[in-house]
Amino acid sequence: MLLFRQGEGFIDNLSPTSLQTLSAVRERSENRTFVKGDLCILGIESTAHTFSVSLVSEKRGLLSDVRNIYVPPEGQGIHPTEASNHHAAVASKVIAEATSSAGASLGEVDGVAYAMGPGLGPCLRVGAVSARTLSLALSKPLVPVNHAIGHIELGCMLTGAKTPLVLLISGGHTMVVSCSSGMWRVLGETLDLTLGQLLDQLGRHFGFASPCGRRIEEAASKSSRYLPLPYTVKGNDVSFSGLLTASKRLVDAGEPFEDVCFSVQETAFATTVEVTERALAFTGNKEVMVVGGVAANKRLAQMLGIMAQRHSAEFHVVPLKYSGDCGAQIAWTGLLEYKAGHTIAVEDAGIRQSWRLDTVPLPWRSGA
Amino acid sequence: MKLVYQGAEADVYSGEWSGQRAVFKFRKALPYRLPELDRVIRSQRTAHEAELLHESKKAGIRNPTLYYVSAPESLIVMEEVIGPRLKTVLESGDAKTKAVSEAFGNVVGRLHASGIMHGDLTTSNVIVNGDGVNLIDFGLAVRSTKLEDHAVDLRLIKETLIGAHSTVASAVMKAFLEGYAGVVGEARAKQVSKKLAEIERRGRYARVE
Repeated sequence: MLLFRQGEGFIDNLSPTSLQTLSAVRERSENRTFVKGDLCILGIESTAHTFSVSLVSEKRGLLSDVRNIYVPPEGQGIHPTEASNHHAAVASKVIAEATSSAGASLGEVDGVAYAMGPGLGPCLRVGAVSARTLSLALSKPLVPVNHAIGHIELGCMLTGAKTPLVLLISGGHTMVVSCSSGMWRVLGETLDLTLGQLLDQLGRHFGFASPCGRRIEEAASKSSRYLPLPYTVKGNDVSFSGLLTASKRLVDAGEPFEDVCFSVQETAFATTVEVTERALAFTGNKEVMVVGGVAANKRLAQMLGIMAQRHSAEFHVVPLKYSGDCGAQIAWTGLLEYKAGHTIAVEDAGIRQSWRLDTVPLPWRSGA
Repeated sequence: MKLVYQGAEADVYSGEWSGQRAVFKFRKALPYRLPELDRVIRSQRTAHEAELLHESKKAGIRNPTLYYVSAPESLIVMEEVIGPRLKTVLESGDAKTKAVSEAFGNVVGRLHASGIMHGDLTTSNVIVNGDGVNLIDFGLAVRSTKLEDHAVDLRLIKETLIGAHSTVASAVMKAFLEGYAGVVGEARAKQVSKKLAEIERRGRYARVE
């Protein structure tokens, strides 16, 4: 049996708040030997640019998380068909690597979870086909997982947050959600673009390939010159379309790249933190957690941290390694869904491109 | 002065103003926001809130009477409205829910009919006072007769109800819409509801499957 791969460890790039919980996960993971009666779920993520497979165990935590990411040419975004071709080409290799680096064999898998949605149709289909194939070959049940719930549940597991107010920010989502009566409920969201789309579309205007968040963050850190931009808060919702247009105009007018990046970040993040704060003041939650790809941005995390402190709420940031899309979010949530009995037949295991998270009942949160 | 409420963008104190009980709404500097951006937003919203608070009062909306305003200090002093917030009333499962929801719809209808969008109609910005409701917090209010803006107001109400009062959400929304249509008329209420559905479809992953 292969050993747990150290390179796939959990200690790189951690936020201090999560260290304790993660070391607990790590300890569990180091117990590599197969435990009889343990539940093992394989999870497949393929909603957008990432094809990733992970194995998790009920008793040993995250066992592996292997990713292969489609990178578009410079200046372009994700082309759904090309991303799905990429996914199809790497699928079996990623599945094999995830299994071997978990020190497991496919025979130990008790259920196959996959991201049923929301996401790009062609990409989702590759994950669904892989999952159905594995399920039939292994005679194990299929578990459909909502990708957004995956981000949140993995975040809770890794940071130790129990029922936080969640800011989910990525290329696909910009939402403030809170749990009540066993469902994640949306308290505020974007009315048009997501924060990830805003950064990506601005980045593409500069000629970068998506995702552009990191390059924009780097550029922004070199400036402190603020150029006024539209600050749009509508109740608990945000809107970024006007901000995107205005910032593209600044670029075209010859304003320095760094100053535009700085100003866009300051404006967009302030509106996002403001609506999160509005939701927090409303619910009186004692925990705030940020998850999703844009959670990797340090300035945003800093702003959210200051805001949470004002309301004496604990603040959690998903560890950098798990902020982006990954199989672990699907495998972990798949395990929770499996235990709740949410499995489906192969013929029903399609995809749902527009599957909103506030329609998914979560029995394990029914007490909240 | 006593701190009575810490909101997202303002701290509210209770005290006295010319011998009257009053609330002092102070928009504090938000330390996460860039100072130059923060200053502009706070003074703009303060001036705006005072203006529209007064203007909507003239239109017959029950809301706190304005005593003093200072945009540079981000301070508004106004009448203290006594009563629980709608949020508390809905959470307590009060028997008056239907009547209160209808009154809420009524007052929002009157606000819209007078060409003002509130911009922040969560259940904590509505104070239930006897048999009527008072609207507070006009910081995001704008003058608008646009269908889109009025629908955005209704969207936030719906979002708040589903997000925070899921068990009573549909009953409250129904009574609200009755009260609303009672003022703006059935035809306009239908148009606003239609626009609301359109805005919801524009949202992320909101397509009906």
